[in-house]
Amino acid sequence: MSLEHVAVAAMNGLVVGASLALVAAGLALLFGVLGVLNFAQGDFYMLGAYIVWLALGHGQSFWTGVVAAVLAVGIVGGLALMTMLWPLRDRAHALVLLATLALSLIMEQLAANVFGGDAKPIAAPISARVPIGHTDYPVYDLIVVVAAVVILVGGFVFLKYLKYGIWLRAVAQNRRMASVLGVPVSRVYALAFVLSCGLAAVAGSLLAPLTQVYPTVGLDVNLSAFIVVIAGGLGNFRGAAVIALGLGVAESLGSLWIPGVAVQLMVFGLVIALLILRSQRQRVLVRL
Amino acid sequence: MLELQDLHAYYGRSHVVQGISLRVGLGEGVGLVGHNGVGKTTTLRSIMGHGPRTLGRIAFEGRDLHSAPVHSRARRGLGFVPDAEAVFPEMTVEENIRAGALLRPRADQQHCLETAYQLFPVLAERRVQLAGTLSGGQQKMLALARGLALQPRLLMVDEPSEGLMPINIDLIAGALGRAVDAGVGVLVVDASFHLLKTVCSRLYVMKRGVITGEHQLTEFATPDQLVATYLKGEA
Repeated sequence: MSLEHVAVAAMNGLVVGASLALVAAGLALLFGVLGVLNFAQGDFYMLGAYIVWLALGHGQSFWTGVVAAVLAVGIVGGLALMTMLWPLRDRAHALVLLATLALSLIMEQLAANVFGGDAKPIAAPISARVPIGHTDYPVYDLIVVVAAVVILVGGFVFLKYLKYGIWLRAVAQNRRMASVLGVPVSRVYALAFVLSCGLAAVAGSLLAPLTQVYPTVGLDVNLSAFIVVIAGGLGNFRGAAVIALGLGVAESLGSLWIPGVAVQLMVFGLVIALLILRSQRQRVLVRL
Repeated sequence: MLELQDLHAYYGRSHVVQGISLRVGLGEGVGLVGHNGVGKTTTLRSIMGHGPRTLGRIAFEGRDLHSAPVHSRARRGLGFVPDAEAVFPEMTVEENIRAGALLRPRADQQHCLETAYQLFPVLAERRVQLAGTLSGGQQKMLALARGLALQPRLLMVDEPSEGLMPINIDLIAGALGRAVDAGVGVLVVDASFHLLKTVCSRLYVMKRGVITGEHQLTEFATPDQLVATYLKGEA
């Protein structure tokens, strides 16, 4: 096994981890603020990818498609999701889980009916490659990693220093007290939905050239994102981002020596161990 | 500035506050005293719009607050520091105070922080500590500092001295006294004679959901005299 193979595998892992980090950060945000575990998060990822495909089909540029995906899925999808879940906000968690699971199934079936079940290839907007040893590595993949890191660092700065970011954390930690300080709680909830869906969409649209687009493209990423969010501590934005990147790289590197299925099993084992360790935690908050 | 007229408050079918009327003026410290469970906290929560179903008039600066949501009451100048679970536990001390000052212009926010640290130097020493790891007394100070950082025109404070050491009661009484001197109306529910003497000029006595008396603080020379007013009529 040459160093070059390891470097390429690590880069591939970073690309997977970056997209996972975006989806997982959105999941963590929504769970931290509202206690909503959104099973349809991967389907907003899928929608983002389809919007890029549609934009390209209508003669628009790839980047216009990405912006359209983020705006459409973030704002329209986020607010629609909020409208659906709002009546369930003080009800049992199981109801929210079932509602988002139902939404996920509906979205996948709708996508299959409207776009067909076949995988649609999308060309990367940048075809240049950089050499890593004897391997030419796609520049676009590196851009995906950089974009994800920039977005996640931006998210961290937003939560840490900006008014609405601080308000998001305040609402997550003590909703009643936040409203006493003048925080418009329902507006903050809406923001959490928009950001969460927007993060899924940006991941789906950026990864579309790497994964192709099909109705269940979000399923795998959704499962991994749940693992990441659980391992990072539900509601933990930074933990989700860091673990997603780590998981992506670990899976990719592990596959060099161990069969992929065994790597997956090990990851699940780790999550079960973490769940047992964390079972004593009582509060779930948006943490940094 | 704040005027309650025939306020009733209900938790489900429980009629907790049974038609009280009171007023608090600009730059006036007013106490609300009575035994546990007579409806003092419910009164404050009703004014803030938190929790109970209410009937009657709650007017602040001449405007009825009845249909106003909690956050808009805060934006109109009403502040409330509850007696428990008042801080954001996973934010630092400084972030907690800033969270209170976020509605102010940016230049004001720094001033709010400096004022808070001046009033409670222990908070300055612990500015980067998570609020959830502070002692109960320090959390009370932080909650009050944050309540003041909102720069309300009327601040309601529930049991600020409960469980505190005398030196910390002095600090809290001093901070509230300064707010009154600066023109803030303060409505405080507390049992500390020293705190009431420092902050308030008037007080209302509550029993079983109604106000049974209004007194000037000058009427009381000792804590026992104050307690006697609660007990009057109770055999």
